[in-house]
Amino acid sequence: MSSEGFSIPIIHNSISIMTPFLLAAIGGLMTELSGMLNIALEGLILIGAFFSVIFAAATGSLLLGILLGILMTILVSWVFGAITIYLKANVFITGLATNLLASGLTAVLSFHIFGTKGVLMFEELPPLPSLNVPPLHKIPVLGDIFFGHNVFVYMSWIIVVIAWFAIYRTPFGFRLRGTGSNPKAMIAIGLNPQNYQMLGILISGFTCGLAGAVLTLNLGAYVPHISSGRGWIALVVIYLGGKTPFGILGAAFVFGLAESFSNYAQGFIDIPADFILAFPYIITAAAMVIMSIVQNRNED
Amino acid sequence: MESYLSMKNISKTFGVTGLKANDNVTLDVRRGEIHALVGENGAGKTTLMNILYGIMQPDSGTISLNGKELKILNPIAANKAGIGMVHQHSRLVNEFTVAQNVVLGAEPKKAAIFFDNRKAEAEVAAVIEKNRFHISPEMKISEISVGQMQQVEIIKMLYRKAELLILDEPTSILTEQEIQRLFDTLRELIKRGKTVILITHKLSEVKDISDRITVMRKGRIVSVKDTADVDEREISKMMVGKSVIFDFAKGEEGCRETVLSLEKVSIRKKRQGHPILDNISFNASSCEIVGITGVAGNGLTELEDVIAGLQKISSGSIYHNDEDITNISPKALRERGLAYVPTDRLKRGSSLDTSVKENLILTSHHDFMKRCGVFDDNKISEHSRRLISEYKIDGHSDVPIGTLSGGNIQKVILARELDNVKDFVLFSEPTWGLDVASSEFIYEKMLEMRARGVAVVLISSNIDEILTLADTIFVMYRGRLVAGRASGPDLTREVIGEYMLGLKDDFRGEE
Amino acid sequence: MKVNRSDMFVTAIALLITLSAAFMVMLVMIFIMSETPGETLFYFFAGPLTNKYYLGNMFNSAIPLILTGLGIAFAFRSSMFNLGGEGQVYAGGFAATAVCLAMPAAGAFFGITVSLLAAVVTGAVIAGLSGFFKMKWRTDELISSFLISNALIYIVDNFITGPFDDPGNNLLTTSKVAEQFWFNKIFPPSNLDISIVFVVIIAILAFFYLFKTHQGYEMRMCGVNPEFARYGGINVGKYIMLPMLWSGALHGLAGAVYVLGTSHACFKGFSGGMGWNGIAVALIARNNPIAVIPAALFFAYIEAGAESAMINADITIEIASIVQSVVFFLITAQAIYNFLKYRRKAV
Repeated sequence: MSSEGFSIPIIHNSISIMTPFLLAAIGGLMTELSGMLNIALEGLILIGAFFSVIFAAATGSLLLGILLGILMTILVSWVFGAITIYLKANVFITGLATNLLASGLTAVLSFHIFGTKGVLMFEELPPLPSLNVPPLHKIPVLGDIFFGHNVFVYMSWIIVVIAWFAIYRTPFGFRLRGTGSNPKAMIAIGLNPQNYQMLGILISGFTCGLAGAVLTLNLGAYVPHISSGRGWIALVVIYLGGKTPFGILGAAFVFGLAESFSNYAQGFIDIPADFILAFPYIITAAAMVIMSIVQNRNED
Repeated sequence: MESYLSMKNISKTFGVTGLKANDNVTLDVRRGEIHALVGENGAGKTTLMNILYGIMQPDSGTISLNGKELKILNPIAANKAGIGMVHQHSRLVNEFTVAQNVVLGAEPKKAAIFFDNRKAEAEVAAVIEKNRFHISPEMKISEISVGQMQQVEIIKMLYRKAELLILDEPTSILTEQEIQRLFDTLRELIKRGKTVILITHKLSEVKDISDRITVMRKGRIVSVKDTADVDEREISKMMVGKSVIFDFAKGEEGCRETVLSLEKVSIRKKRQGHPILDNISFNASSCEIVGITGVAGNGLTELEDVIAGLQKISSGSIYHNDEDITNISPKALRERGLAYVPTDRLKRGSSLDTSVKENLILTSHHDFMKRCGVFDDNKISEHSRRLISEYKIDGHSDVPIGTLSGGNIQKVILARELDNVKDFVLFSEPTWGLDVASSEFIYEKMLEMRARGVAVVLISSNIDEILTLADTIFVMYRGRLVAGRASGPDLTREVIGEYMLGLKDDFRGEE
Repeated sequence: MKVNRSDMFVTAIALLITLSAAFMVMLVMIFIMSETPGETLFYFFAGPLTNKYYLGNMFNSAIPLILTGLGIAFAFRSSMFNLGGEGQVYAGGFAATAVCLAMPAAGAFFGITVSLLAAVVTGAVIAGLSGFFKMKWRTDELISSFLISNALIYIVDNFITGPFDDPGNNLLTTSKVAEQFWFNKIFPPSNLDISIVFVVIIAILAFFYLFKTHQGYEMRMCGVNPEFARYGGINVGKYIMLPMLWSGALHGLAGAVYVLGTSHACFKGFSGGMGWNGIAVALIARNNPIAVIPAALFFAYIEAGAESAMINADITIEIASIVQSVVFFLITAQAIYNFLKYRRKAV
């Protein structure tokens, strides 16, 4: 097999793998820009994953499943936001609360509705449509890398572009960034920073709902704790991406690549499966420490 | 003349301390005038203006503009009524351009959803040109000077069609030229029919620019005058009230020995053009009070931090009893016996949620251990009881210090710092915002320290305090010492004022 | 003095409101989920108290929670976040097991001491790493502690199911440690063991350390107001590192105590929930080491109740997580405190 032969599938896969990170990180970015650290991403992804797949199964429609799943996620993010902002609770603790709520709620509902807390298979669900543009698909290398993914992949790219416009080219973006940078500036001109913080959280609910839907609908099944740390990694992706949408796209791709490569390596090197699972956390932690070292150097 | 703005019988009391910031205050402002609102720190000027701008609500009283009574619930309502406020510290978003900051909250749009940056810049450029500002709408806030930031704040209010502009201590952080430019701007605005309320405590400015003056003292209005009818001396008398004349003897010169000395201390920051501290050299000796004064923003705060070891210096050296202590840690400095009463009593000088008792042992908690390594509670209680009575602190030793009044918090700090003073103590703005009785108590303690042979450094922007207490007086201007003289009859308030404003400089040309 | 009492009153009422809200949510959940809500409620509330076995087990499951609660309280007192509790407990428990397995013939005292020490050091090193990064480069300890701990969970998983797996059974667990290392049961037939006495002593010592020693004093001052602490000559950097070491050590100890007292082996995922619950326990106890004891009992009660309802009725144990999340949501809500204070003044 030529080197091209195995590197192309790795890149192709990494593009699929990065999608949930990317979506969650873009939503988390909105919260971050409004001046809050959103550690609820993990729980929100889980909520989206669970509800989108069971609603899709119940209604028989992928689209309805996705929409209702997102709606549920936004609802949970609203609870998180309202308690944090209006009841003035500590955002870290309420973020943990959201994660705890998500893992509790999904287990309880899974048990109540399906009688099991294990894997829920939905074999009758149609697969996610994927995008194949016949002539373009034929382009060597690029065609193999960029086409043949499911629609969410392309949607996530569109969301990156929309996020960029929203942040840098709309009044909303200016006010959101203004809130994060100097809330007093907002108050001085009579704008309520709380509204923008809330929007920042609700948007993260939207994108995390979508991220969750990608995970389960792609699989046609719900696996308990399917978010498995993606929300936390997304949080670090936001920082590594320099808090810009395209930076996040790049950082998410690097993570996707790392995970894709370790999946690939598993095939012919004898690494215990648990180490493969630990790998994303290790590189994320390492990336975080390295970044803070670099930042510290620059400031001195 | 008909009054344009009328605030009637405004009262405002602050919750925790019960401080009456505004006590039945009535203010009249005429259309087209520059009205100076003057008074010492804590006289209630800013509170009154925050009420007018809707940031605070008064306990009682009414506000009317153009004869119409208004309820100003928030700054948006104030903007709608044509009132704009320029805060003392700029409230701008650093990452944005001038134009973006100005239009924030009232953005021009294109295609209904997009922020129209070009239009924003054009509109802001029009406001700038009309009012003859010198600033470019495309510049980022992080790239402009403090004086320009203030211009942006004014432009922001003009863009929102403000007719009445409130400026809160606008000159305190500006250089002389910037002040003149600001005044030109204000005169220009008056020509265009705007009205200005200028909050300040600098008398020369009041004389220079204002039409009428309202003087506040301790939350009340004490006088309203046409500027032309009064001179600075009279205003000053009204501001301070029947000033309590502290007449203290100066320290003996016999026992003086250098305790602390600064040699060519400078601080430079990357982005700032001129150094924040520029070649500061002076000695503080035993049996001496060294007074350092200046206008806020000229380096007093930084000098305070440097002496306290909380800010590293870029060059120069500091010696304590001839030993080099340049850039040693605050801990090491404390171990050498530094006693320090800081400007920021609430954040630095005390821990508000912590009990008085625990606040009192911050620097001496190692002395209260039993042999087994556990605190001796009896000894700590006894210690705090002794200090509470010795320093006449009105408060129980087990309550959080935050529940005490400002004067009593300062006494707790004083008690902690002075109780185990060795040979050196730093006071910074020790009486800021305190009543006369507390101030007097602090002065007595300071003199007691000097009598015991301690070297005292007093940093204060209050000239009277410096004049009454200091044996040697230094004045800072733009990060430099411009005067350093033994106090004497020739060193009057006026002379110091000239140094403070940079009109006189004893060390210019010296290197 | 007056002020102090009314503050305590406000705190108590706010806590009551939070806990009532949690119970309300649970009631609603049970009424929706359960076919036989009356029975479920009975088992939930009374289940843990109906016999010696349940009661003893409830106290027993409070043991690690007291330790993790103390660990979090130490960190919070110094304004540090340790979100790596789960991994630290897990790695601590594993280290203790590994030490015991390595010397099956050692004397009880020696073996237990070395194995507890190994757990404490393991936990301290893991959490200390995040403290070190924070001190040195201002790396956010909240995220780093979580990531490091999660990576470790998988690595420990690998050891338990791989090289240390007990070949004698099909369970995902190590072999049992030698019997001389087991803690004595004190309330048969339940699992409650003697370590509860030591854990209570540790809580009291922690209280003394925090409130009666100079290190505790300096640590608390750094937590409430770092600028004040620095101004007073306290080495603030030291108190970024030290509380994380303590926190990790206590978490590691929790894992060891669970292994030696209850499970006698390190089985896959035994630490699940102990770290997160430690945070809730510390928050309810308002970071007071003595109050950690009743707070841990409260959480043990909820878990035991949920377990009893699961065994005897028709709901699942995760209902406890939902109740806990409500506690998490409301426990720091400043608005509740402000509202109560304001009301008291108005009256």
